[in-house]
Amino acid sequence: MLRNKRLFILMIGLIVFIAVMGFTLGRTRLTWPEKFLNDAFGTAQGALYRPASAVADFFGDLSRLSDVYKENRELRKTVAQYAQDRATYNFVEAENERLYEALGFTEKQKQLYDYRYLIAQIVGSSSNPLDRTIKINLGSRDGIKPEMAVTTTDGSLVGLVSRVSEFTSTVEPITDLNVESTGGVQIAATIFGKEKESFGIIDSYDAETGMLQMSKIDENDKMAPGDKVITSGLGLVFPRGILIGTVVDRQVGDFGLTQKATVAPAAKFDHLREVFVVVVPDVNGP
Amino acid sequence: MTMRMNRAVAAGILLLILENGVVPWLVPSDWSSRLTPHLTFVLLVYVACFAGRHRAFLFGLGFGLLSDILTYGNLIGPYAFGMGLIGYAAGLVMERSTPTIAKVIGTAAFGSAAIGTVVYMIYRLFRLTTWSYGFAFYWFIAPTLLLEVLIALALYLPARRLLLKPAVSSAEETAA
Repeated sequence: MLRNKRLFILMIGLIVFIAVMGFTLGRTRLTWPEKFLNDAFGTAQGALYRPASAVADFFGDLSRLSDVYKENRELRKTVAQYAQDRATYNFVEAENERLYEALGFTEKQKQLYDYRYLIAQIVGSSSNPLDRTIKINLGSRDGIKPEMAVTTTDGSLVGLVSRVSEFTSTVEPITDLNVESTGGVQIAATIFGKEKESFGIIDSYDAETGMLQMSKIDENDKMAPGDKVITSGLGLVFPRGILIGTVVDRQVGDFGLTQKATVAPAAKFDHLREVFVVVVPDVNGP
Repeated sequence: MTMRMNRAVAAGILLLILENGVVPWLVPSDWSSRLTPHLTFVLLVYVACFAGRHRAFLFGLGFGLLSDILTYGNLIGPYAFGMGLIGYAAGLVMERSTPTIAKVIGTAAFGSAAIGTVVYMIYRLFRLTTWSYGFAFYWFIAPTLLLEVLIALALYLPARRLLLKPAVSSAEETAA
């Protein structure tokens, strides 16, 4: 009788777990106990994560001291370039505004690309090797919503906000992208400098090589190895112009009709301290 | 030899915070997706060795669920299931014998491999990963196993000292 009871409990347990896993799969809303646990642990983790990161960065900086001279020279070159670009940009922006007025753009259309960048501190990262989520200290109180893009402080794409609680939210890095997965996200991408001519979809990540895969590229597309891949912003959910990575090579796709490319991601996904959450103006809302 | 479960739970919460907050900084950048030690799992091994299978089952279930909720990526439940199961199994194996350091380390090693396998299989079942088992073993199960064994070794003395009620003092208490 006791043996049977134990077996019975095991069966019920198994069924309950399969049900829980199936039910929580692909769900974006959180219930209040989950939010409470996330916020409570997030706050406690934040108090430890930041000092730990400061200490780690200090030692990292010490070992990088010899590179500072070289880095400084590069930065000076970039700043000179930036000053020129800035002048051109001002002219173009003024011209653009004049044309908006002339063509009678509505207020909503004018603000389409007026992104806001919210800075967030990382308070923890996952220890589950199959779900490398990152936790940030901004939540629904700060206007964070699921599917918002998250970038590093130098502007390369880290991932997407996947779940939001009151004071913290969870970010799913693009290294979790998987084309064959049931909960896959796909990112429309284009090439920096060839925005009108190039298009592809970033849809999976290979852990072994550390490369992203870009698929559905047209045969006559002009993209070449070394080009910078950025988000295209088509569809208006995802912001445009965020750096994803660099094209490494390009080959014929699985069915021979389209081509695919290998993209080396620009962001690093660990030892992050701060990230930007990109808030896209709500075009469909009131 | 009985375990102080209150202290074990407090230590579990502390280790869970350390696991997500501090450990990511200690792992080198190149290895960050491969070395993912679960400190609460190491503690679970001690609970299984010192407190029996029922407490280990509840402990594993609770902390597994907590860690699933805190790192909710695709689904909730793999670690709750795996840690509950392995806590119970380890408790069952260790219950009849006196826990020596070799037995504890052996349990940690087998348990670590088992939990990696269970979690991988659940992700595979729900088609959330396309890795083969061989790759998963090479990529994260084996490195994490080695690291967790080292952590178990490092925590052996503190765990014994802080989490066990010493037999001597309890005798003194009854005498007094």
